[in-house]
Amino acid sequence: MDESKDGERRDAGAPYPRSPIMLLRVPRPPVLLPSRPIFLRSPRRLVSSLVATAYDNHTTLHPESHSAVTSVLRFFNSVTEDGAQIPMYRVLDGEGKVFEDAEIPEVDETLARKMYENMVQLPIIDNLLYNVQRQGKISFYMTSYGEEAALIGSAAALEPDDEVLGQYRELGVLLYRGFTYDSIMNQVFGTHLDDSNQGKQMPVHFGSRKFHFHTISSPLATQIPQAAGVGYALKRDPIRGGRNCAVVYFGDGAASEGDFHAGMMLASTVPSPTLFFARNNGFAISTPSSEQYHGDGIASRGPGYGVHTLRVDGNDVLAVYAAVKEARRLCLRDGRAVLIEAMTYRVGHHSTSDDSFAYRPRHEVEERKRLDNPISRFRLFLEARGWWDAEEEKALLERLKDDVLKAFRRAEAEPKPELQKMFEEVYGGEEPWTITENRAELKRLLQKYGKVWEPWRSALKDFKGAGKALLEEGPTAK
Amino acid sequence: MFTHKCVRQHSLLFSLYRSGTRRQSTAAEPLPAGGHLPSIATSSFLRSGRDSAIRTPGIQWADEDASGPTRDIVAGRETRKMNLYQAVRDGLSVALMKDDTAVVFGEDVAFGGVFRCTMGLAEEFGRERVFNTPLTEQGIAGFGIGLAAMGHTAIAEIQFADYIFPAFDQIVNEAAKFRFRSNGQFQAGGLTIRCPSMAVGHGGHYHSQSPEGFFMGAAGIKVVIPRSPIQAKGLLLGSIRDPNPVIFMEPKILYRSTVEQVPIDDYQLPIGRAETLVSGSDLTLLSWGTPLYHCETALHMLATPPESLTPFVPASLRSTKVELIDLRTILPWDVETITESVKRTGRLVIVHEAGRTGGVGTEISSEIQKRCFLKLNAPVKLVTGWDTPVPMQYEKFYMPDSIRILDAIVETLTY
Repeated sequence: MDESKDGERRDAGAPYPRSPIMLLRVPRPPVLLPSRPIFLRSPRRLVSSLVATAYDNHTTLHPESHSAVTSVLRFFNSVTEDGAQIPMYRVLDGEGKVFEDAEIPEVDETLARKMYENMVQLPIIDNLLYNVQRQGKISFYMTSYGEEAALIGSAAALEPDDEVLGQYRELGVLLYRGFTYDSIMNQVFGTHLDDSNQGKQMPVHFGSRKFHFHTISSPLATQIPQAAGVGYALKRDPIRGGRNCAVVYFGDGAASEGDFHAGMMLASTVPSPTLFFARNNGFAISTPSSEQYHGDGIASRGPGYGVHTLRVDGNDVLAVYAAVKEARRLCLRDGRAVLIEAMTYRVGHHSTSDDSFAYRPRHEVEERKRLDNPISRFRLFLEARGWWDAEEEKALLERLKDDVLKAFRRAEAEPKPELQKMFEEVYGGEEPWTITENRAELKRLLQKYGKVWEPWRSALKDFKGAGKALLEEGPTAK
Repeated sequence: MFTHKCVRQHSLLFSLYRSGTRRQSTAAEPLPAGGHLPSIATSSFLRSGRDSAIRTPGIQWADEDASGPTRDIVAGRETRKMNLYQAVRDGLSVALMKDDTAVVFGEDVAFGGVFRCTMGLAEEFGRERVFNTPLTEQGIAGFGIGLAAMGHTAIAEIQFADYIFPAFDQIVNEAAKFRFRSNGQFQAGGLTIRCPSMAVGHGGHYHSQSPEGFFMGAAGIKVVIPRSPIQAKGLLLGSIRDPNPVIFMEPKILYRSTVEQVPIDDYQLPIGRAETLVSGSDLTLLSWGTPLYHCETALHMLATPPESLTPFVPASLRSTKVELIDLRTILPWDVETITESVKRTGRLVIVHEAGRTGGVGTEISSEIQKRCFLKLNAPVKLVTGWDTPVPMQYEKFYMPDSIRILDAIVETLTY
């Protein structure tokens, strides 16, 4: 079609030009069982070649299909040829011994120790913050118990400037990149020193531009299609293209959201270098995986999107490390999505608002902790190599506990941000009148009731400057 | 799914061909005493000359240095006759040309778009910058947020505003809150979502909606609706460059039916500012998008009613000076301009296609009664779609057309 010519013909009110491209969009006849010649008209296909093959017994009429034709009526329901489940890649056995035929990923002593220390510090932070939430000192918390290997193994295999989009149980990735205990504590307390979001979000909603860790939000799976967009931006970046990928973490429950489908499809089709890392820990709050999906986990979906896929033992830090290294390489090589499903077990409660013994027996959890603990598994490996011993273990635990507690004490004493921060960063650029007026109205109310209305009077004391800046500056309500 | 999409495109494209529904309805009447009523094609709001086009109020030439003194270079500026979709295409082309990070994507945009707004862009800028996505609105919005989070310019298209709801979560929970929830560390300001909206004559439930009201409570985003080709290009470029995520709703019946001389240079029109189209002192008439042209017809009917309507328009009202304002930006809306106007006129009629309950009109009328309580001489009147889905065969009786607007003006003036 000559588009420029067509463009000239277009005047207001002129009859709609009957462009051949437009006419192509009329409903097509079904193409699978042709009883008469069908001429597909599509601007993207070579019409002649399709017509030529329309009666070829060895192909279908579908423009993208290369299916062989079969006369056997047989449904299939598995991505493995024999109907078995997708195997789980593992390097270490339950006692930290390397499988005979396994290839040990390149992890030297320095790296191995760093990974181990990072794994160990997670439950220390979790223990403290879980308990202080129980005491009412912070409003909410979510632990990472049982998922230490999946988090640290993957974090160690990434480049520090790969863009990470998480769900909420990925504190380990941030810690591995250098996020400090102070940053954690200031976020969960929402102090004026909180560099994640100035007390605007719930605890554990961390974020850091510096560490390329996109701020966590509560709506599940929303970060998944966003990751595809991040991957595409990286690919187009003249400096980072081919060097960095987007990495997105999510649970097996979140993978049931429509956004998982959208994200996988976009990253494979557009395409975008995006590494999908599913933490399959067996539960989404109280819902067991058996009620989350009927297929073979999350990994079985990867081939449906045309995506390189691997299932890995999420409690084997070396296997996770090797898997993510390779996934990252494939991601950058092909510039499109790669999927890893890490099989693990959520040892802790879903959150501090959840008592998981209401839907799973306590002994089951104890059994899992005893049988397959990702931290002790890795420690056995380190000890066997002579890279670790009991004395070092004791010293490390003491140091970490001390550091975490000190950071906790510091944050506990810090005030909340300035009150007017509540109205900041809603919009960029000129502030809309609505927000200016909202702030002026709160100022008026505080001037009137701030000293006499007890709930406000006592809450104000917790804020930096006790709301003074808001009370004295800014516009006055009309 | 393919069939479903084909149906929506096919019928809609033909509807554009027949888009002069108002002309058809007025043509059926005998020649009015005051001559032909204005239609979209003959609207005085459309700037058909070069001089008036380059003197569009509020126009900011993007090639002038904003920090220096305003030079207001108009000599040498060229214009070209464009309809609204061509102006959108022109705006997109400017955005892509000036900003290497800008990409345009959505369903069927690569071949030119089902409304031709992206015609030739893929050929001009390459498939890496203008590309099709799979059919997933939540994905399109999420993907755009991801690009924007990396500082890129993401210009997403949702094929019809009616299909923006699958992306509601991404827009309201994510795009709108992105900056706030990270305290400015991350932001999605580079995202603009374009979507054809409003009625088209026979779009039924899902090719007619005006969902702007649903986004009004989503602090953090902006919502912009143009009325003409010059406005479309200027407001679109303003939206793309605004440091916030913007939903840009293009009234689809205007894609072909409005034609103006559009400046071919890079220019913007301000986001968040209403524009007074007709000055007046007796009543403020406020609308946006397609119904502005129905307002124009209604004003004409008020001044010189056709014979059949003469009994309904008291002679004393015929010289009434009605002030007509195009809101242009729905969120954040220009409260100053509307308040100033209503304080002068004492009367307000708001017209929009969306249903009344929970619509934009209720928000504006509540704010105006608060600010102009002592100045109001009549209740604020809303002329809107009914509180039903947009009905297929009943559209003429659903839409806030010129007779309903005329009636509201007369009722408000005689209150």
